[in-house]
Amino acid sequence: MVAIGHGRSVSAATAIEQCRGAVGDVVPRLLLVFCGGKHDGAEIIKALRAAFGDDVQIVGGSAAGVIWRDGLGYSGLEVGLVAFEEGDFMPEVVVNRDLLQGEQAAGFALGRELRETAVEDSVVLMFYDSVANQSPLRLHPASDLVAGLQSGLAGHRIRLIGGGTLTDMNLSDAWVFDGRSVAKHAVIALVFPPGLKDETVILHGCRPVSTFMEITRIEGAEVFELDGRPALSVIEQMLGVTLGNTSSQDLSLIATLGEKQGDPYAAYDENSYVNRLILRANRSTGSITLFERDFHLGTRVQIMSRDNALMLDSVRNGISRINQAQSGGQPLLAIYIDCAGRASARSGAAVEEARLVADGLSSSIPFLGFYSGVEIAPFEGYSRPLDWTGLLTVLSAR
Amino acid sequence: MNADSRGAVGVSPGRLERELAYYQRECNDLGARLLRLQEEQSQAFREARRSRTLAKLIREAHRLADTVIGPEDLGDRILEIVVDNSMCDRAALLIEEAPGSRVFRVTHAIGLRERATSPVSMPSVPDFFFTTAQTRIEPPAYELTGILQLPYVLWAYDRTTGHALMIGNRSEANVSRAFEAGDQELIEGGLSVYIDVLARKQAEQELRRAMHAAEQADEAKAAFLATLSHELRTPLNAIIGLADIMSSKRTPALTAERSGAYAAEIAGSGRHLLRLINDILDYSGIARGHLAIQPEWVRLEHAVGAAIRAAQGLAGERNVALSTSPIDPGFGLLVDSVRFRQILDNLIGNAIKFTPQGGRVTVDVEVGADGSIRISVRDTGIGMRPEDIAIAMEPFRQLENALTRKAAGTGLGLPITKGLVEAHGGTLAIESEPGQGTTVRLEFPAALGSPGRQKLPKG
Repeated sequence: MVAIGHGRSVSAATAIEQCRGAVGDVVPRLLLVFCGGKHDGAEIIKALRAAFGDDVQIVGGSAAGVIWRDGLGYSGLEVGLVAFEEGDFMPEVVVNRDLLQGEQAAGFALGRELRETAVEDSVVLMFYDSVANQSPLRLHPASDLVAGLQSGLAGHRIRLIGGGTLTDMNLSDAWVFDGRSVAKHAVIALVFPPGLKDETVILHGCRPVSTFMEITRIEGAEVFELDGRPALSVIEQMLGVTLGNTSSQDLSLIATLGEKQGDPYAAYDENSYVNRLILRANRSTGSITLFERDFHLGTRVQIMSRDNALMLDSVRNGISRINQAQSGGQPLLAIYIDCAGRASARSGAAVEEARLVADGLSSSIPFLGFYSGVEIAPFEGYSRPLDWTGLLTVLSAR
Repeated sequence: MNADSRGAVGVSPGRLERELAYYQRECNDLGARLLRLQEEQSQAFREARRSRTLAKLIREAHRLADTVIGPEDLGDRILEIVVDNSMCDRAALLIEEAPGSRVFRVTHAIGLRERATSPVSMPSVPDFFFTTAQTRIEPPAYELTGILQLPYVLWAYDRTTGHALMIGNRSEANVSRAFEAGDQELIEGGLSVYIDVLARKQAEQELRRAMHAAEQADEAKAAFLATLSHELRTPLNAIIGLADIMSSKRTPALTAERSGAYAAEIAGSGRHLLRLINDILDYSGIARGHLAIQPEWVRLEHAVGAAIRAAQGLAGERNVALSTSPIDPGFGLLVDSVRFRQILDNLIGNAIKFTPQGGRVTVDVEVGADGSIRISVRDTGIGMRPEDIAIAMEPFRQLENALTRKAAGTGLGLPITKGLVEAHGGTLAIESEPGQGTTVRLEFPAALGSPGRQKLPKG
């Protein structure tokens, strides 16, 4: 049994009191909480303890925004929570706090632990703080984390679904709730019992606007050359503008690089693409830095354009699929992990696509979402970090 | 053989390569145009969204006017709306400590982990200001960015009310674009809505207070009139009754002794009526603020001494010891001498009236550390419960006890005394405990007093 609460206030205590009121009589053993970045995480913990007791486990983290059944907001003052009552679907919490020492190693250690904790094919929800360092901005690459985690799992299959947290849409900071307190450089995994399964749809909204180009020089997440030409020049030529220093971050609002999976010459299918947002342009080196570092020398990519109309179509189609799949089932909870870039303040979409999700999803399913930095979802049989996607997961009894 | 392969037959590899290059070029050109169109459309939507922000902000903020929140809580709610609509990282409302002082205090803030508690002083206060990456960090940018502890701020100040609103961002670009002159409408709009709704909330609050006070005053007036009728009727009934007896032809002839007694009672009731009417006129004048005060320097030693001497007769009748502690001959007080005597007479008379036989009434005068003149009238009488002190201050509200029944008054003495003291700029306070006596303390500001053991002011 779960219950959803949400609130919005300058005061952490008031916001949590609103959540408490919405949750009703439920006595939670675990709270999955997403909280706007203008709140002090420690104050939120304090208010949660006052409202729900000292014994409740608190996981989740900061969020660039929160989405609930009849509203959403990204003012930084929203709080949303899922209250899990004692019962058959109570997840087990596994935490690793070593992201700063190396994302891959932390992922590996977590994978080893999940191998022991998670039954084969069980659903694991994973959250970590996306921003490693604020100045200069450095993200915790989810690609390293997930790669390490897969190594640690050593073939043990799980349904890994998750997201990177943010405090706001400007990538200012991020933190997580690790069960007891606020933590940085930590990854939290909620391991659900085998009686629970997921139905997950990935909602897209980008389409290619270039021919294939080969990455001819790359170091980590920094792409120096595409087809032997400076990557930034290629992008600028496409955009028809020269990006100044101050607007270099604007690139993340405009274009992405996409890698098509499977047959490269097959007809366009949004589900075939793994997109990478551009974190910044580097004028001095003529390079661009991607959010992740899982593209390599020789990877063939296309420049992708965000397409708001396509994004909204993708949402409608995805919701239709998931509602059909849930028909006759016993859905427990729907979680929507939504890339912050898709919010209309960033995408410029006339309609909030998260609103379409909340409105379209069967009303009987408890629903909570948050705006994230990175989304992690099973993709072609292997969980990968994705950018500029919305990830809707419905957990239900097998 | 299908149509495609048929078409390729006979086509040279060079032509195919050129054709491929053509399609690639067209694809990229069209893709670039699509990308730009998409970005232009997104940009237009984002700009339209920002344009709607002010209207949305004003609409949402005005809704607060119809809610039950008070003026103190309004700031947080307005800031929530400002933050939500402007997508800023931090926001604050400030108030200028005194008009034109250029010293500001943050009253409400969002996003500030530690709110600056100390006021911020600014060498100059612009009505509108913003910072960009090109802004030099010098006044007032230095002070304004310091308040929000952010490099990019947008500020509006209303000189008339002293209120200011500011928002700020960590980064200049990305979701939040750089602040510009066009944002004046947004920030000033937010501020003016706050000021308007605040004024309305404050007016509502004052109206509620005024209504409450009016209701109380109405109740007091009704009680006053009821009591007044009773107070007037009692002596009048006595006068008319006794006069009727004396003038009635049916009444057997009155003895001279009885006639004298009736005439004395009529005269007593008449004097009581006169006193009552004088008191009512005094009280009415004080209540309406029409009391004329003609200040002059009085020597306290003389004034208190005269009042004590006048009350010795009453004190003797009741077997109450009345005295004053030695008063510095230099102590002077700038008061209306007639009204001051009235104050002393009322307080000393009351103290004697409520002190049982064998008790003591003492009058003390001293100068406070701040130069104020303090006069206390202390008795060893029946005293009052704390909750009765306020009642005693109300007109016609005499407390029920054996002594008051013995010595009826108009019930206006204490309210008049308090009004007279306050009309001089002083205060009256009562300390009392049942069975332990009562002390009435008067305090007149230093400006009205002359220091003891020094020359009495001229005049």
